Amino acid sequence: MKKTLLVVAALLFPTLLAAQTEIVVWHAYRGGEKTAFEKVVNNYNASQKNIKVSALAVPYDAFADKITAAVPRGKGPDIFIYAQDRLGGWVAAGNTIEPIDFYLDKKLTDRYIPSTMQAMTFRKTVYGLPLNYKVITMVYNKALVKTPPKTTGELVKLAKSLTNSSSGRFGLAYWYPNWYYHAILFNGFGGGVFNAAGKPIVNTQGNVQATNLMMKWMTQDKIVPLEPSTALVTSLFNEGKAAIVFSGPWFLEEISPKVQWGLAPLPTIDEAGGKPMRPWISVEGVYIAAPSKHKEQAFEFAKYLTDTPAAKIMALEGSQQPANRLVYSDAQVAANPVLKAFRTQLDTGVPMPNVPEMTMMWSPVTTAMNAIVKKASTPAAAFNAAQKEVEANIAKLKK
Amino acid sequence: MASPAPQLEPAHDGTPSRTPAPPRRASGAGRIAVGVLLAALLAVGVMHWLDVRRSASRSQGAEAEATIVVARAAADVAAKLGGEGEGIAPAMTAWAQSQPSVKAYRVINIDSRSLEASTFPADQQEGAPPRRLARPEKPLYDLGQTLRTNVETNAEEQTTGNPEFTVERQASGDVLVAAPFKVDGAVTGFAQILATPVAPKSTAPPLWRALAFIAAPFLVVLGLTFFVRNNTILFIAGLVLLLATIWLHATEKGASYGLATAAVLLFVFVGGGYAGRTSSALLEHRQAYWYIAPAIIGMLLLVFFPFFYGIILSFTRQNIYTANQPLTELWIGAKNYVDIITDVNIFRNTPAGRQINYGNFYWTLFFTILWTVANVAIGVAVGLVLALVLNTKNLRFKALYRVLLILPWAVPNYITALIWKGMFHQQFGVINQVIQIFGGDPISWFEKPATSFAAVVTTNGWLSFPFMMVVSLGALQSIPGDLYEAARVDGATRWQQFRSITLPSLKPALIPAIILSVVWTFNMFNIIYLVSAGEPAGSTEILITQAYKIAFEQYRYGYAAAYSTVIFAILLIYGIFQNRATRATESIA
Repeated sequence: MKKTLLVVAALLFPTLLAAQTEIVVWHAYRGGEKTAFEKVVNNYNASQKNIKVSALAVPYDAFADKITAAVPRGKGPDIFIYAQDRLGGWVAAGNTIEPIDFYLDKKLTDRYIPSTMQAMTFRKTVYGLPLNYKVITMVYNKALVKTPPKTTGELVKLAKSLTNSSSGRFGLAYWYPNWYYHAILFNGFGGGVFNAAGKPIVNTQGNVQATNLMMKWMTQDKIVPLEPSTALVTSLFNEGKAAIVFSGPWFLEEISPKVQWGLAPLPTIDEAGGKPMRPWISVEGVYIAAPSKHKEQAFEFAKYLTDTPAAKIMALEGSQQPANRLVYSDAQVAANPVLKAFRTQLDTGVPMPNVPEMTMMWSPVTTAMNAIVKKASTPAAAFNAAQKEVEANIAKLKK
Repeated sequence: MASPAPQLEPAHDGTPSRTPAPPRRASGAGRIAVGVLLAALLAVGVMHWLDVRRSASRSQGAEAEATIVVARAAADVAAKLGGEGEGIAPAMTAWAQSQPSVKAYRVINIDSRSLEASTFPADQQEGAPPRRLARPEKPLYDLGQTLRTNVETNAEEQTTGNPEFTVERQASGDVLVAAPFKVDGAVTGFAQILATPVAPKSTAPPLWRALAFIAAPFLVVLGLTFFVRNNTILFIAGLVLLLATIWLHATEKGASYGLATAAVLLFVFVGGGYAGRTSSALLEHRQAYWYIAPAIIGMLLLVFFPFFYGIILSFTRQNIYTANQPLTELWIGAKNYVDIITDVNIFRNTPAGRQINYGNFYWTLFFTILWTVANVAIGVAVGLVLALVLNTKNLRFKALYRVLLILPWAVPNYITALIWKGMFHQQFGVINQVIQIFGGDPISWFEKPATSFAAVVTTNGWLSFPFMMVVSLGALQSIPGDLYEAARVDGATRWQQFRSITLPSLKPALIPAIILSVVWTFNMFNIIYLVSAGEPAGSTEILITQAYKIAFEQYRYGYAAAYSTVIFAILLIYGIFQNRATRATESIA
C-alpha cells in the first residue's frame, strides 16, 4: 500500500513542478554578496508561484569563458550577471545576449542611474538591466589625514608632508601603472581609449597630459611608491604607511580592522583646469541569454532583481552599490556613508567602454604604461606605439 | 580481408616462378586498380557533393536577389508615407495587387513599436493593424533593431559588411524577406514580404558525369593490367590517371589541391599494399589490439582529439567574433603559418633609433632558446656541484642538507615565482636592499631586457637545480669506489679522476634528465608569466606565453593555434634530433 502511494506521489510530483517555469541564473558572487543575492532569489521564489529561480555561483575566473562557450550552444542559463566590458564582444559573437529594448518603457528605465543604463547600451540597443556598479574613489587613513584633499594641489602638498621614502611611507598609493586605475586621470583630462564612435584614441592629447601628471607625482614629487601592485598598496595602507589610496569597493574588504578609514570623492585636477578625476564605472548587468526558452519569465525576474526592495537588500546586506536610483532615497541606505560616498563618486564617472575591441586594448596599453613608468619611453611615443598596435590588431580581427 | 578483385587472380606480373602471394590478399595489379577506384571515389565524390551544394546556394541566392527587389519596393511604399499612420495599409493593399508573387506582407515601425499593416494570418490574432506590437511579437521588433544597427554601422564604417536584408526560406519553398525603410535619414521600420520565388534553374552537374569520372580511371587501369606486366609502371600509370581525372573533373581548381593530396595518399595506402598489411596485422594480433583498445580510446579522446582539433584550428581565422561559425567557413589554408614564418620585421625604426621589435616571432624564438640553454646550464652546473659536495664521504647531517636542498623543488612553482617577484621589487625587494647595504644603487629589475632576463633565470635556476642534483647524486652513488682507488694507485689527480671516471659514468643518467629539462624549460609558462610578465615591452616573452597572449588577450584563436603548432614542431624536431644523439651516446657507453 505504502509503495503504491509512493509511486503515485512520484508520478504526481513532476506534474506539480511542471506548472512552474524554472529560471536558471549564473552569477559570480561570493561571501556576503552571494548571501544577499540568494536572499533576493528566495524572496522572489516565495513571492509568487509561477517562476522558480535557481541561482548558481560560478567561479569568476572561468565565468566569461563559460558564457562564451555554453550560451550560444543553448547549454547555458536563462540569465547571467556580468560586467559590461564583455557585452560588445558577446553581441558581436551572436546568439548570446538577448536585446531587451522591446520590454523597456520609460518608467522602467527611469529607475536606474542614467550612466549605468548607458553602460548596458551597445550600438543604440539595450541588452541588460543594470544591477550594481563599481567605481574607484579615495580611501584615506583618518589617523593621518584630517581633511581629505579636494584638489590635486592640496593632494600633492599633503602627500609630500606624509611621505618618507627611506622608511617606506607614502602620502598616496594606488596601482597607477595599471590603466584601469590610471583612467581616473585619462578621463579627467578628456582622454580615454575609445571615442564616441568606438575608434581607438590611445595617443590622444588628454592621455599624454594625464600621464605626464602621474609621472610628475612619481619622479618629481615622489609621493607614490615605485612598482605598486594591489598587494603592495593593501599592505602599505594596513600598516599605516600609505595615507591615501585610490581604489574601489573591493579594497574595503581588505582593510585591516586596526585602520580607521574614510571615503571622499577623488580630487579635482588643477592641471586640467579644475576638472574632476573621472573613474570608470563598471556595471554588472543582468542579461537574458538569447537561446533561453523562457525570456518573458526571465525578464520578470530581472525586473524584480533590479527593483528597489531587492536593491536595498543587496546594498545593506551585500555591501554592493545598486544601479537603482530610487533606493538611495531610502533612509537606511542614505545613512550609510560608504554607499553615499560611492554614489557621489559615480556622478563624475564614465562608463567603461563596452565595445568588443576593448579586449584588444588591455595588452598594448599595459605595455605602454610599463614602458612609461620604467622611463623606457615618453608617454607620447609609448601611446603612439600602442595606438598603432591596437589598430593593427583590430584590423587583423576584422579581416 | 576478402580479396576485392578476385577476377584478377592469378597475378599478371609475369613471374610465375616467384612464390605466389598469400591467397587471401589482392595481387599487386588488383590493389592498384582498387586503389585508383577508391581514391577517385573519394576525390570526385567530394567534389561533386561540393558542386551540388554550391549550385544550390547560388540558385537560392539568385532567387533571393529578385525577392529583395520586391521587398525594397514594399519598403519604399511605406517610407513615402512616413513609415506610420492610417495611410499605410491602403497604400500597401494597392501595391500588393500589382505584385503577383507576393503572398503576404507586413509593415512594422520600430520607433512606435507598431504593426502598421499586415496580411499575415498570424498577425491578426492580436488584433487588426495598425496596433502596437504584442509581447510574443518581440522577434519582429528585434529584427527591425538588427536591420537598423546594420544599416547604421555600414554607413559609419563605410562598408557593406553587415546584411541590410534578411532572407528566410520557408519549408513551403517560399521566401520571407525583410527590408528596412528610412524616414528623414534614419531607419524607423521595415517591410517584410512572403513571396514565391521564380523557379530556380538547376545548374548542378549531373550525377552520371561524376560516376563516369570515377569509373573511367578504374576501367583504364583494369585494361592496362592485361598489357602491362610491371607493377611499378602500372602504379605510376594509376597515379597519373588519378591526378588527370581529378584535374579534369575539378570545376574550382583551388579547392581541389587538398582533395588531390588526400586521394593520392589513399591511393598509395591501398595501391602500395599498406592497407592489406595493416588489416592483416590487425587480424593477426587481434587479441593484442583488444587489450590496448581502452588505452587507445582514452588517448584518442584526451590527447589526439584536442591535438588534431588544434591543428585544424590553426588553418582557420577563428577569433572572438567568429567563434560561433563553422570552421569550414573560416578556412584560410596555411596563411597563419606563412604570417608567422615570414614575420621578419625584427627591427623597427623609431625616433629614438632602430629598436628590436620584441613582439616578433624570431626574437621570441631566440629568447626562448637563450632562456632554455641558460636555465639548463645553470641547473646542471649547480646541481652537479651540490651533488658532488653531498657525495663527500662521512659528511655529517647529510640527510638534513639533502632535504633542505630538495625543498625548492617541493614548493609549488607559482608560489616560488611570486616570492621571487617580491624579492625583485625595486623599493621593497630584499635583493635591492642587500645591494643598498653594500652601497649600491637599487636596480629596477624589469626595466631592461638584460636585468629582467637575469631575474627570471635566477628564479628558474632556483627551481631547476634540485632535480639535477637528485639525478646526479643517484648516479654518483652507483659509481664503484674501486675505480677511484685504481686511479689513485696509478697516480691520477683529482681533476683527472673527475674527467675520466665521474663524468663518463654520469652521462647515461644526466643526458635523459637534460632532454627532459630542455622540454620543461622551453614551455616554462609560470615563471615568465608571473615573474617578468614579458616586461619590458614583451622582450622576455617565451613562445608559450606569447601564444597565450595571442589567444586570450588578442582573441585570435586560429593564429594562436598555428603558433602552438609551430612550438610543437620545434620540440618535435628537437626530440628527433636528441633521440639520434642519445642513441649515439648509448652505443659508445
